[in-house]
Amino acid sequence: KYDYDLVVVGGGSGGLASSKERVAVLDFVEPSLKGTKWGLGGTCVNVGCVPKKLMNQAALLGTALRDARKYGWQIPESLSHDWSAMAEAVQNHVKSLNWGHRVQLQDKKVKYLNMKGSLVDEHTVRAVDAKGKEMKMSARNIVFATGGRPKYPTHVPGAEEFGITSDDVFWLNDYSFPSLCVCKDVALECAGFLTGIGLDTTVMLRSIALRGFDQQMSGLVTDYMEAHGTKFSWKCTPKRVQKLPSGLLQVTWMDLNTKEEHQDTFNSVLWAVGRAPETKTLNLEKVGVEINKETGKIIVAADEATSVPNIFAIGDIAEGRPELTPTAIKAGRLLARRLVATTVFTPLEYGCVGLSEEEAERRHGKDQIELYHAFYKPLEFTVAERDATQCYIKVVCLQEGEQRVLGLHFTGPNAGEVTQGFSLGFQCGLTYEHLRNTVRTHPTCAEELVKLNITKRSGLDATVTGC
Amino acid sequence: MTKYEDVAVHGYEEFCKAVSERKGKEIFAYFSGDKDDQGKSWCPDCVKAEPVVRGELSYLPEGSVFIYCQVGDRPYWKDPNNDFKKTLKLTGVPTLLRYGTPQKLVEEECFKADLVRMLFTED
Repeated sequence: KYDYDLVVVGGGSGGLASSKERVAVLDFVEPSLKGTKWGLGGTCVNVGCVPKKLMNQAALLGTALRDARKYGWQIPESLSHDWSAMAEAVQNHVKSLNWGHRVQLQDKKVKYLNMKGSLVDEHTVRAVDAKGKEMKMSARNIVFATGGRPKYPTHVPGAEEFGITSDDVFWLNDYSFPSLCVCKDVALECAGFLTGIGLDTTVMLRSIALRGFDQQMSGLVTDYMEAHGTKFSWKCTPKRVQKLPSGLLQVTWMDLNTKEEHQDTFNSVLWAVGRAPETKTLNLEKVGVEINKETGKIIVAADEATSVPNIFAIGDIAEGRPELTPTAIKAGRLLARRLVATTVFTPLEYGCVGLSEEEAERRHGKDQIELYHAFYKPLEFTVAERDATQCYIKVVCLQEGEQRVLGLHFTGPNAGEVTQGFSLGFQCGLTYEHLRNTVRTHPTCAEELVKLNITKRSGLDATVTGC
Repeated sequence: MTKYEDVAVHGYEEFCKAVSERKGKEIFAYFSGDKDDQGKSWCPDCVKAEPVVRGELSYLPEGSVFIYCQVGDRPYWKDPNNDFKKTLKLTGVPTLLRYGTPQKLVEEECFKADLVRMLFTED
């Protein structure tokens, strides 16, 4: 009766979900304002996690080369980095992932169309290709997984015309410096790797960094970046971007403390001020698919169903149905987010699972919480004469009984790898007792987690000494 | 009148020469184990895949080049340091690839006519 059992709008993993049904996947990337576009696989593969982590690795390798001298390697005094070579290597890997995805879809007999999908009615999708050719298809079920795109600060004149976003930075074939990253959120990573490969980079923030994350940990991350060459303009906001005859960009910005305006010149400006879901062009509301007016996201129930029974939404485009009271919704969402182990791939990586110190105090009260912490020094840093001031571990526990762990925070090398392991324990109801009863793997940074014994409450020096 | 150029080469040097002589063209290459005097390859998968690949050649883009490359005998191929493995990063035979891109089909993937057609026709 229907052309397909399932039509997926958005080229992520939805199409791989079922090979028994007749499935079609529509994937189309609207070019960025700068004209950047990419292949199959979605944000993570093309303009997110994958290229981000690879470029972070490029920067870390630069640091490793410098450390290597201390370990006896004869490394030349002046090290230079070739952006084009790195970009080409990263892009080739991404393209191999695009291809791998394509082969998988074909192998599972999923019909792939490089076309932009939108709703006609509950069982009909309209698809348009880059040339404007149109077709319609009927489906028993429809899934939207169109994700989101970076926002531009449209209230800043010149922002759209002269700035770039994370959609563009990984696909540039050369990058001129100095550059300015204006960020509200987790774009410290971009500034981090840009600084790491030798580019003069400034981060401009309106208020705090890593909103929603433990602020003590966030401070350690930004302290490290500042100590290692990234410039920070705290409590500043851009007012205007203009292009000078030289081709450089002039940014007029305001210091929110003094209310004074300043001007500075940069080669490029990268906006990382949040992401917006791709829902406007899907024609959802006309078909009765409810959207949160404020966020633009599709409202879904626990099973990803939208307000229309046979239409589903997954990923960044979806938003949990508010069964909680408004004030608790935010906490509920934050809770959900923090239960998943998260890692920020800044030059000093930060991995965490569970609640921040602030959140734990808000929920349980300062007196019901015990915070175990330690400043540690990775063994590898010693010979390399690297500063470990910001390498830190904090475990947030309930005060009473076996002291259940509410949150776990780690800054240091390979934070993601460390946190992933401990998050398993966290899911299983980790307690401070469990940590202390765990035999250590020596010598590692991760073992410091099971050695924790100094509480913040005691006021004692939390620097790890000895073995 | 074929719309693509069909080239046959033997060994790494001949392959590189054929590629360098065709700069600017879209090149597809099929790597197979050597054939004996009876025209049979020591690589059984290559024997199975060749008719499938040849069956889809009509889908090659206009003006493109199809290079059929015999890589060498079995001992040469088994050596992990042979030029095809080291420089071209081939991991197995048969391999069908679009030169200069990460797009390729390896071993059993070459048995599937729809995958071969996809490689020839999609960007």
